[in-house]
Amino acid sequence: MLRPSLARDIVLGILVIAILALIPALVPSKAFQDFVIRVAAMALFATSLNLLVGYTGLTSFGHGMFYGLGTYSFALLMQKTSLSLPMAFLLTLLITAATATVVGAICIRLRLIYFAFVTLAMQMLLHSIIISWVGLTGGDQGLQGGIPRRVVAGFDLGNQHTLYLASGVVLVIGLIAMRHVVASTFGTSLRMIRDNEARAAFLGIVVWRVKLAVFVLSAMFAAVGGVVTSLFVSGAYPELINWPISGDAIFAIVLGGIGSFLGPLVGTIMLTVLNDVVTRTTEYYGLALGIIILVFALGLRRGVVDFVTERLGFRPSGGVS
Amino acid sequence: MDLAALAECVTSSSCLVTQTTSGLIVGMLLFLVAAGLTLIFGVLKIVNFAHGTFYMLGAYLAYSVFRVTDSYTLAVVAAGAGMGIFGIVFERALIARVYGANVLMQLLICYAVVLICDDLVKIVWGADFKAMGMPPEFQVPPLFVAGGVVPPFYILLITVALAIGGGLGLTLALTKIGKIVRAAAHNPNMVSALGINTTLLYSLVFATGAMLAGLAGGLAAPVRSLTPGMGFSILIESFIVTVIGGMGSIAGALIAAVVLGLIRSFGTIGFPMFTEGMMFLVMIIILVVKPSGLFGREIV
Amino acid sequence: MLEVQSLTKRFGGVAAMTDVSLSFESGSLTAIIGPNGAGKSTFFNLMSGAIVPDSGQVVFNGENITGLNRAAIVRRGIGRAFQVASFFPSMTVAENLMAAIAAHRGQWGDLAHSFPRQGVRTRALEVADLLGLADESDTLSAKLSHGDQKLLDIALALALDPTALLLDEPTAGMGPEERWQMIEKVQRLWAQQRLTLVFIEHDMDIVFSIASSIRVLCYGRVLAQGTPDEIRANPAVIEAYLGTPETDEPA
Repeated sequence: MLRPSLARDIVLGILVIAILALIPALVPSKAFQDFVIRVAAMALFATSLNLLVGYTGLTSFGHGMFYGLGTYSFALLMQKTSLSLPMAFLLTLLITAATATVVGAICIRLRLIYFAFVTLAMQMLLHSIIISWVGLTGGDQGLQGGIPRRVVAGFDLGNQHTLYLASGVVLVIGLIAMRHVVASTFGTSLRMIRDNEARAAFLGIVVWRVKLAVFVLSAMFAAVGGVVTSLFVSGAYPELINWPISGDAIFAIVLGGIGSFLGPLVGTIMLTVLNDVVTRTTEYYGLALGIIILVFALGLRRGVVDFVTERLGFRPSGGVS
Repeated sequence: MDLAALAECVTSSSCLVTQTTSGLIVGMLLFLVAAGLTLIFGVLKIVNFAHGTFYMLGAYLAYSVFRVTDSYTLAVVAAGAGMGIFGIVFERALIARVYGANVLMQLLICYAVVLICDDLVKIVWGADFKAMGMPPEFQVPPLFVAGGVVPPFYILLITVALAIGGGLGLTLALTKIGKIVRAAAHNPNMVSALGINTTLLYSLVFATGAMLAGLAGGLAAPVRSLTPGMGFSILIESFIVTVIGGMGSIAGALIAAVVLGLIRSFGTIGFPMFTEGMMFLVMIIILVVKPSGLFGREIV
Repeated sequence: MLEVQSLTKRFGGVAAMTDVSLSFESGSLTAIIGPNGAGKSTFFNLMSGAIVPDSGQVVFNGENITGLNRAAIVRRGIGRAFQVASFFPSMTVAENLMAAIAAHRGQWGDLAHSFPRQGVRTRALEVADLLGLADESDTLSAKLSHGDQKLLDIALALALDPTALLLDEPTAGMGPEERWQMIEKVQRLWAQQRLTLVFIEHDMDIVFSIASSIRVLCYGRVLAQGTPDEIRANPAVIEAYLGTPETDEPA
């Protein structure tokens, strides 16, 4: 059964894709297409992190491990096997889900800051394994040699314009799917656990199962972002699984707002624009970005989208204020 | 992975002494940084993600003071004092605004400061590696203990770090202010109910933590190459130390720091590619077995 | 019938509950009283599965439910409300109740359907109405008055169609007038829903006016049990209460 808001999300999604399809005809800009591909990958990743942070209250510092795992699994499957691209994509999701089940089963036993640190440690452990397993992963040089067999159903994802559109479509589908997750009864269980875990348990929710499920689910969405990135950079590199990747996603969701579904997307766009503008205008990227972050963090004390929705008198749909 | 080499080293006294000594100095520096981190967390319940930056600034400050005065003692004292003051300013101006806020807000503010300071260091001191060089007093041949190499400077480092750690521990255990700090860590409400000025207390604790990181940076300056961003790896390692030792526990930090230092020094022989991974592995195992760390109390 | 047999629990070296055996008849309205630190909340925690006893049994309608997890105990029909009102502050009253009902109906893992599924909202409004919260159904629960938050907490337990309800100090933190309003609601609820209701209460006037039966705990042991009249005349109870002056402070 299609609920009205899902129908609305789908219409909105189609509209966004149509606009994305029109833009290159009006303003042909390779830089813009690059920008959209990068935003699509990062926004999927950041929004998936917010399923944990904003909706469930699980602050993970190591979510980048699944984004990175997505890039490596996909790139490796494409390079070392003869699987088709869609098969490699599905298998990547499967590998990520399996890994996240094991990692999650260990991590969700811990709470608060300990959960944050153990997830970070897990990511760094995986990073170390990738760096030291040179034979398989190329070590700190990364997986070079490109991604073969990029043509899917007549669409060549090696072509910049096609990849641009495909990224837009994947982003829209991913966001609608995640939106559906948070609007489901399962999504309500997430908010119950975030608000009051003990009470949720007394109402009959088996808390660890919900936590593990959302951990695995969000890992899979992060891996989708990783696959987009892998196609964009034609490979996989250790930087894509190193700690700053998790940091970027955290900044995106905090800047955009953990209390709103679209906060992470807005935060990602802001961060990507900032990154592009600042690196072009000054060599002191950190100085400029740091000052901007301080102004936002101390000025608004919440994410931009949360700030705007509260000012307009709406109640945030997700996160804690 | 070269376990044969590791076994050979452990059975040879010279290699054992050399590696243990170098493991100990890594561990001691780490301990000073982590002790500050764990102290701040214990009392203020703030995770200071900018702690590595204090270490870096301390090292650069010591470098400059040493260039001007030629006195290593003065350089270290300046690093400690300078970072103590910087810590107060940082706590009052920024951290005080996010007490009780989401840990992500704290992370964001600290990260902004890390970014800003890394670039300020580039502007003031330049982006290239800087080396302070060994102070002339220590430009002497190393000692040989059971065939192993032990530079006198290392002995100084270990002694000074232990003395500072011991002084900190005694202050916490015996003095009135130490009792207040411990009480604040246990039960913040009680301390404010007793009429103790928590604002002052928090500033003092933050300054002490920052000072410890600054001292570590100053002490390390002769044996580390200085570079913007050098704060980051020590930050990650001191997090591992505080988590393993138990957040808020100084004794736990000491033990965990030594263990980590030894993993680092022996790891370079046995598993050079995987020393970092090994540290994280140890951290995960400890957290799974005892979630609050070796000496920590569960924080609810 | 809800009963416990030889329940014992130690925390560290401290005995919190020693050899407690009590039973609560189906459909009874029982008050648990006792000085602060008597182990009343621990007793509730043991019966509702929040903590597991070191020895002894909890038996509900003939079934041994000792050691079952909270969710399993809830499914068997034991609901509870808390001393400090416990609910989901980011949700409205109706959303709180719908969430509880959906959880109770086993939909908490449901990814396929959007929330709330059919019938859930209707039932939520019914439950809200039982406790006089219908007018507040679209109010954010964090913004409710203290008394309404306590009612919401009870409503959440009630949303699970319990047959036994444990209320930990339903009147905690309320003024005298509010207390009586609250206790009247509780009494009406008990009568309407034919519940086995057990409540912890400090106010002796309230206890003696509504409870059909009273259990007195002291230092983790059963000090006395009986009808209000029996308890009033019990020398051990008089001594315990005169020995340690009664306090109103919520423990």
